[in-house]
Amino acid sequence: MLDLSNFNINNYFFGITKVFFVVLAILYLVFSIIVVKQVTAMSKSVTDKFNSILIIFSYIHLIFSAILVLSMLAL
Amino acid sequence: MGFVLNYLMNRSKDLDNIAPDDLTVEAEAKSVPIVSTSQKPKTEIKLDNRTDIKSSFSDLPKNSSKIKISPEDEITQKVYDILGHTKSPFSSFLVRPKVISFSERNQDEEIYLALRPHWITNIRWIVVFLLMLFVPLFFRYFSFLNFFPTQYQFSAILFWYLFTFIFAFEKFLDWYFDLFLVTNERVVDINFNNLLNKHFAEANLDVIQDVSSSVKGILGTFFNYGDVLIQTAAEINQINFEQVPNPEKIIKLLKELRDSNQGDSNA
Repeated sequence: MLDLSNFNINNYFFGITKVFFVVLAILYLVFSIIVVKQVTAMSKSVTDKFNSILIIFSYIHLIFSAILVLSMLAL
Repeated sequence: MGFVLNYLMNRSKDLDNIAPDDLTVEAEAKSVPIVSTSQKPKTEIKLDNRTDIKSSFSDLPKNSSKIKISPEDEITQKVYDILGHTKSPFSSFLVRPKVISFSERNQDEEIYLALRPHWITNIRWIVVFLLMLFVPLFFRYFSFLNFFPTQYQFSAILFWYLFTFIFAFEKFLDWYFDLFLVTNERVVDINFNNLLNKHFAEANLDVIQDVSSSVKGILGTFFNYGDVLIQTAAEINQINFEQVPNPEKIIKLLKELRDSNQGDSNA
């Protein structure tokens, strides 16, 4: 028999939202890794003065993406 | 007072016009020996004996036109005459850039001109980026996010700002790595689309058949940028330099390089 006495629609809603956010954040983290690899590849292909700054920016973005995943998991 | 102002203005003009690697400066530097004021000259010249001074200066060439300039240097000087000098490394019109290079470059290949789309073409995404920065404030102001717990709100805002950053970063990279190069051997178009696809096209100077340009719209006319279409006899039959500054100078340069290349092959 299904016990509906403890059923709370809010819990289900936030549970589904959390799963959705975590999956999104993990996908974003994968994308950030691709961005780092691509910026490094672009910098090797075309050398210019500010390439190192761009690579640093891509790594900062990767770090924040990892923080995003952790913050989603902590929800 | 007038003399001092005149002197300063002339001096600043010289500094703007003459790049450190300019041929005229090099030629003058070769012709006049530089003696540091702190060093003592090895042979003293008696000031009362004017013939000694005359004879010591008569050894120097009277004008720089007598110095022999190699054909390569002559072309370089022509490039400078057509294009002028670049003053900012952020410019999208870089004349003989020393730092820019590309992986497909040959050992002796010299880059005469590196082009990116005109900086004003970035204005659309910069405006969108600035608007995106204010979206979370808008949500907070109308209390749309109050339904969610604080931790959810923090994660959502962090995600939004990361998305905003990557949007701007991707657009910037798209512009920054969208390079058109004119070298002493060929014209090159390097482009990265959406961070994932690389496009590389090149055509030797001697296969260029026709060059045309088009300047479109109010911004294009105001900021003097447009497309330069290069038609070639090669397999890739056209290369398009999109939204590049000073199209008329590029056409002039390509004509000059093509003529000098044809002259070399005829000789």
